[in-house]
Amino acid sequence: MAMGVSRKDKIFFLSLIPPSITLLGILVVTVITILSNSLESLSLYGLSLIASSIWDPENLKYGLLAPILGSITTSTLAILTALVFSIPLTILIAEYSSGFVKNVLSSIVELMGGIPTIVYAIWASTYFASLLKQYVMDPLHAYFSIIPLFSCKPITGFSIFTAGVSIGVSIVPYVTSMILEAYQNIPQALREACLGIGCTKYESVKVLMSLAKPAVLASLILGFARSLGETTIAVATVGNSMYLSSCIFSPGITVSALIASQFANAYLYKYAESVLYASALFILFIAIVLSFVGLSMLIKWRVKVVV
Amino acid sequence: MYAVELDNVNVYIEGKHILKNITLRVPYNTIYVIMGPSGSGKTTILRVINRLIELNPNAKIDGSVKVLGYDAFKIDPYDLRKHIGMVFQIPNPFPHMTIYDNVAIAARINRVARKREELDEIVRWALEKAMLWDEVKDRLRSYPHVLSGGQKQRLCLARALAMKPKILLLDEPTANIDPVNARKIEEAISALKEEITIIMVTHSPHQAARVADHVAMIYSGSIIEQGPVSQVFLNPKTDFTAKFLKGEV
Amino acid sequence: MYDQRKIKDKLFFVFVLSVSIIAVTLMLHMIFVTLSNGIPVILRAGLGFFTSIPPTPLSKNIGGIAPALAGSFIMTLTSLPVSISLAFFSAVLTTEFPRNPLSIIIDVVAKSLASIPTIVVSMVIYLIVVVPMGKFSALAGVLALTIISLPYSYTYISTYLRSIPATYREAAYSIAMGRWRTIISVFVPIIRRGLLITVLMTSARILGETAAILFVTGRYRLGVSVSLLDPTDAVPLLIFDYMLTPYKNFQEISWAAASLLLLSYLIIFTTTKFLVKEVKL
Repeated sequence: MAMGVSRKDKIFFLSLIPPSITLLGILVVTVITILSNSLESLSLYGLSLIASSIWDPENLKYGLLAPILGSITTSTLAILTALVFSIPLTILIAEYSSGFVKNVLSSIVELMGGIPTIVYAIWASTYFASLLKQYVMDPLHAYFSIIPLFSCKPITGFSIFTAGVSIGVSIVPYVTSMILEAYQNIPQALREACLGIGCTKYESVKVLMSLAKPAVLASLILGFARSLGETTIAVATVGNSMYLSSCIFSPGITVSALIASQFANAYLYKYAESVLYASALFILFIAIVLSFVGLSMLIKWRVKVVV
Repeated sequence: MYAVELDNVNVYIEGKHILKNITLRVPYNTIYVIMGPSGSGKTTILRVINRLIELNPNAKIDGSVKVLGYDAFKIDPYDLRKHIGMVFQIPNPFPHMTIYDNVAIAARINRVARKREELDEIVRWALEKAMLWDEVKDRLRSYPHVLSGGQKQRLCLARALAMKPKILLLDEPTANIDPVNARKIEEAISALKEEITIIMVTHSPHQAARVADHVAMIYSGSIIEQGPVSQVFLNPKTDFTAKFLKGEV
Repeated sequence: MYDQRKIKDKLFFVFVLSVSIIAVTLMLHMIFVTLSNGIPVILRAGLGFFTSIPPTPLSKNIGGIAPALAGSFIMTLTSLPVSISLAFFSAVLTTEFPRNPLSIIIDVVAKSLASIPTIVVSMVIYLIVVVPMGKFSALAGVLALTIISLPYSYTYISTYLRSIPATYREAAYSIAMGRWRTIISVFVPIIRRGLLITVLMTSARILGETAAILFVTGRYRLGVSVSLLDPTDAVPLLIFDYMLTPYKNFQEISWAAASLLLLSYLIIFTTTKFLVKEVKL
């Protein structure tokens, strides 16, 4: 039967199109701008752009290996840090607290999630970096300097390690809220299954966490994507050195920190702007892809477990 | 001429055949009760009549639906719904509007009344018809959350009446409220048929017996029996109807 | 056997509790040191902190952050309505027509926008606004801030719209209310608390953003600029620049500005938690 679609409904739909299309326009313009401006350096330098770590704008030598590895390392450290804190926080909120305490705890997590990253940055560069150096980096170096990652003596607190952990602390609320949501979405029946056969809380949590594992993984992927783009904390704590090292206690650089520190003067050097756009393309591409992987994993998990 | 005529109406939702060849005729100013066990498709019939079924993008409909002589699926749904009030299974007064506004908005939207005095009058009329006026006349500015479930449902009835509909659809209006309130609603409905054609869905044969002029028995998407209430109740043609009327289903 | 399980259970709780305490302590430490470093500076500077321009690096007086405050204020107030309204219309589209191909595309686009690193937005706005205009401007900042806040407010609004029980839509349609009318007269009032939260949280997001405006607003700190077409400053930008300098008075100002930013965020957050009256369903 042909349905009489209301003219009013058609107008309603049409009226929503222009503002919505704006969003699409923004995305397209962003991607095209970044892409077209990186073409020059990509065609000129090709693979050597990401295979070399030499940064010498005066001689037109550009290599992005150090910032790219720096971004990947800091983001990896960030999600490891987030994991260490987020899982216990989730369990504490979901399993061991109720009523007022639960409210306060989840409000703190929510509150921290919205604090401007610049506040995290100033705190991390002034306090957290030296805390980490004294209580984590120095001991690790003292006892495990055989491991290449810990082989260099931390000189200042500023390093790849510090940036990674600091960014990690800043994404704890974000990752926790996602894991918590997934964990609390596990149906009641499954929740009680283990307790019903006499499990202790620990055993029950272990079962539920293994059930939530894909969601946890997805949250970490999304956390990784967010860490890649984190700029202010990276600039404030990474040490900003283009020197490539296998030790995470040495100062380094990330892509976003590179852009933040070099972009303003890039017009002085030939190709420098284009190289920076190429580096932006790199994090943009990975961030978008990972977001989709993470989001679709979350949706799939929800369909499988919750419904 | 009938107020509502359905001819061979089929509804499919996500491939499932929900309504099968429904044909029914509702005469003007009568109470037509559709009864049947839950899940039999009763509510879907009501939703076809006022095209709320289209809110479900997966629903496919064929057959002919005539309301007040018009082909329901050829005219603008808003013009159609102007003439059809509906009360739902779960009371759903607008939570952000006062009791007064809940009723007045229906009149205002459908241009039944514009001026303040006219609106006051129609709100009072609708609330009286819904047998709620005495209970709320001193708190028309309160919000519906102060009302009991049964009062909320009568507020919804008043809202539906305030648009001065020609047809009123009632989807198990008493299913979720207490017996005292349920009786009040039944009374209100019985008094209304002078002015309005009423189609009500219920799973209770007793309620059907109390208010209906005509009844239709629906089972798993098909109408298995219909006719004047006395005929169906005294001489059920199918075993299923007989069992249902005895309360054995 | 039984005892061992019980001990494990207890140890597990101790572990969960202590790691959580570390996490919460770190977070509270951050709030505490920001406020305790910043507020005394503001008190020392007095009203001048809000009305003066920043000092020269080695000067004895603290000066103020008036240009940054004005810039942040103007850019936030300009960007907020644009961001909220675009997000609102898009959210209405995707929640009212969830199966429409355009809705699906817009939903995906919103999610992609959310994943764009904000510094990338700054580079794009630099090229398509700053370069053609020939100068930095508050307008460029507004555009960048709108882009980064759009997916944020979109997520909030569409979540609230989706949370409205279907039964109110049915009630509205059954009295022949049109779609726009239903949204304006029924949906918006029902989620008014959520919309207010959206506005507040989006403004907090815009107010605190640094990377997106790094290359677009300029850093005009010699006076207060109220023109959208001229360079301006922003509070996060000033913190970012000054915290990395070796000058003590700059660092002090940086802390003071950070504490101000944090305080405004805390006020906004607390407001969303306590002040708004909820519609009782």
